Amino acid sequence: MTQPAVQLTGIVKRFGELLANDHVDLTVARGEIHALMGENGAGKSTLMSILYGLLRPDAGTIALDGEPVVFDSAARAIAAGIGMVQQGFALFDSMPVVDNVIYGAEPTRRGLLDRRAATAAVSELVERHGLRLAPTDRVGDLPIGVRQQVEILKLLYRRARVLILDEPTAVLTPAETEQLFTVLRDLAADGHTVLLVTHKLHEVTAVSDTVTVLRDGKVTMTGPTSATGRAELASAMTGREVDLDRVYPAGQPGAEALTVTGLTVDGRAAGRPAVDDVSLSVRAGEIVGIAGVAGNGQTELVAAIAGLLPARGSVTVGERELSGLGVARRRAAGLAHIPEDRAEVGAAPGARLTDNLATGFHRRPPLLRKGFLRSGAMRTHAERIIERFGVRAPGPSAPMRTLSGGNQQKAILGRELTHEAPVLLVEQPTRGVDIGAVVGIHTELIAYRDAGHAVLLVSAELSEVLGLADRVLVMYEGRVVAEFPKTEADPHAIGLAMAGGAPRGVAGGTAEDSAGGAAGGVAGAAGGDEADVVGDATGHASENMAGDTAGDTTGDAAEDSGGGAA
Amino acid sequence: MNRLGRWRGALTVGVAVAAALVLGAILLAATGANPLEAAGAIVTGAFGPDGIQDTLAYAVPVAGMATALAIPLRAGLVNLGGEGQLVLGAISAVAVGLHVPGPLGLVAALVAGMLAGGLYAAAAALCETRLGVPLLVTTLLLSYPAMSLAAYLVRFPMRDQGSSLPQSAQLPPDVRLPALAGNGLTVGLFLIVAAVAVYAVVDARTPAGFEARVTGWGPRFAQYAGIDRPRTTLRLLACSGGLAGLVGAIVVLGFPYRFIDGALITPQYTWIGLLAALLAAASPLGTLVAALFFAALTSGGFAMERETQVPRELTAVLQAVLIIFLAATTGLLRRRRSAA
Repeated sequence: MTQPAVQLTGIVKRFGELLANDHVDLTVARGEIHALMGENGAGKSTLMSILYGLLRPDAGTIALDGEPVVFDSAARAIAAGIGMVQQGFALFDSMPVVDNVIYGAEPTRRGLLDRRAATAAVSELVERHGLRLAPTDRVGDLPIGVRQQVEILKLLYRRARVLILDEPTAVLTPAETEQLFTVLRDLAADGHTVLLVTHKLHEVTAVSDTVTVLRDGKVTMTGPTSATGRAELASAMTGREVDLDRVYPAGQPGAEALTVTGLTVDGRAAGRPAVDDVSLSVRAGEIVGIAGVAGNGQTELVAAIAGLLPARGSVTVGERELSGLGVARRRAAGLAHIPEDRAEVGAAPGARLTDNLATGFHRRPPLLRKGFLRSGAMRTHAERIIERFGVRAPGPSAPMRTLSGGNQQKAILGRELTHEAPVLLVEQPTRGVDIGAVVGIHTELIAYRDAGHAVLLVSAELSEVLGLADRVLVMYEGRVVAEFPKTEADPHAIGLAMAGGAPRGVAGGTAEDSAGGAAGGVAGAAGGDEADVVGDATGHASENMAGDTAGDTTGDAAEDSGGGAA
Repeated sequence: MNRLGRWRGALTVGVAVAAALVLGAILLAATGANPLEAAGAIVTGAFGPDGIQDTLAYAVPVAGMATALAIPLRAGLVNLGGEGQLVLGAISAVAVGLHVPGPLGLVAALVAGMLAGGLYAAAAALCETRLGVPLLVTTLLLSYPAMSLAAYLVRFPMRDQGSSLPQSAQLPPDVRLPALAGNGLTVGLFLIVAAVAVYAVVDARTPAGFEARVTGWGPRFAQYAGIDRPRTTLRLLACSGGLAGLVGAIVVLGFPYRFIDGALITPQYTWIGLLAALLAAASPLGTLVAALFFAALTSGGFAMERETQVPRELTAVLQAVLIIFLAATTGLLRRRRSAA
């Protein structure tokens, strides 16, 4: 019988009061993709840090290929053939791929860097694993998904046989995720062992051979993925049956609360704007979801509405015209905003929860009285939000960063909802949030809508948009290219529009103005080979997809508007 | 938990100081001096019945500058132009004081010093917010023309006719701050204490102070929350420069009641103040404590040189060792707090 590639036995790790790993056993066979699942704070990262030598276990043993090992540093683990891709990349953007890969383990000849050997070694690895990059590419020019492959290359170059990937798909588009999975399957077939840390069910079922679920530091389930159902995994993670992919009932929209007309934001590169002449409206009691592959202008659209990016065009909240106003005035006019970037934008991680929750409320009563801030009122305010939104925290004085991702998000959500602003902008509300918290956040957003507020939701998770939104808009290359009422929103048509081909039946004048050509074009293309268009366009060749298809497949309709779009 | 952290913080600082003192003692012993005797001389020199006055006289401008530089530092903005603002405040105070007679002149001189420093720092802030030149660069570079202008003024138009030194005429007796001691210590002490108190209250209890702290925690978070960064920068720099200018005015309105070229630069008020503010992460009371500590060490160093013939340079070494130890440990503290 062959020895398992990795065997962790009885691992215990305690941080003060918290038992992060409670007698965890983990067995990973050579050449398999093993998913390690669990909610945030379940102990996945702790366990992987122990395997990678970053932390020392309080008890328990590690064996590689049957040999017991003790790692007192990551260097020892690397020497033993373990490699880890952390969540944030550690790459030099201005340097080529080769330099990034060999950094720290450079091949030398007579004491000098042997650039030729380095390039050859990296090229060989790229070729062998079918990666789609050139060793001479500058890392900063590469898309995020490919940068991640550079990180994997680093491990392979250091002859890692066990690869740990910590939440690798958090930053990837669906197409990039698919590519990553192809690479991982290939690596596993090549005899590498892959440990995939994730909390996304569909990833586990899509790529892993075996799955182990952690909850509260304990293993709650382990077994072959093929024999495990999604509901079973979900309940192993959360300890209760979870209503997956739930679609909430539609709201009852009232008057227009947010109106955006002809909004244009300049792009980073000259020429193509990041947001291109977008018009939309959100009514009170309505959630409008914006679907789209990341990087198609959704972030910039919301930033421009919030006043964080300069833009042309008009934004009105209620009767109030906001263009030209700063963030504070816009918020005062009735905007609240849950941003995409929790750590940098939505919160101050080093500051106390009290201060994080007071921000935005600090210039009016009850926190402010007679020109002075009342610390007691600040504390009460924080406690109320913590209580009302079920934020799990040691107390209001705890620094924000000591909370898990899901609880940070709940705190930010609570702070913004407490404003009771007529219009809420919310981006990626559940990114990096565990399943238990996802349901809670969704329920809150629906309740907020039902209380008569307008919500503009941006999410990369299509199921989230479908579940929550009363209307779905699709953004592609800075434009709104399609609009679906809730009843007509189906993943297939939306996926097609996200990939640059707008479907038939575009509703609303604005979408038609900007996407008429593309819509006509894809109506033709979709009839022919719809699946192909989706597959291709969600891959990398998405540049000008709409324009090309329009030009090729439609006749007169594309002449006037389609020509402009291309 | 927080209280525990604070205790641990105090303990760490204590250990750092002790370690630095031990290292300092070894250095002293290596030069053949008796470390205990030298340390005793420093302590009596700093806090003894004679020394305490010198310590306070030196501490007033150091604590003033430390607080001035802490104000923008709270929001993560570094004002490197303290010297220019200090000197400009001083020369403006003298210029006004020499021309406006009586008690009104005293008040006018103080206000002039504050305005000059404040406006000059505000100009540096505007260079960043309007023209995009980094604040570090604008504050530091604008410092030099200010010092040069003052040097020119006291050599030519404002020169004391009866002297060959580059200094201004002496201020008339009624345009002087009442002295508390013969060494330049004046009621300016109370003005600085008041400034520190105001800073502490504004920092902890007002929306403006809160917004400065939010900006310090995260500029992007502050922007997202609707805090107007250009306006915050301008206000904080104006306050910082204003206080620096006030310190300059207080110094020249004390003994010897005139502006002497270089007299505000040589004692390193600005840089010791900046160190104190940095070490204390700009917290109002921490900055004050650090400033007093450095002032005591410096003034004790003079006493040690007088008493024991140990060269004063050794206290500079001791001071450097202390700063490195403190900086290292407070840096560690900051990281531990963030990791916790």
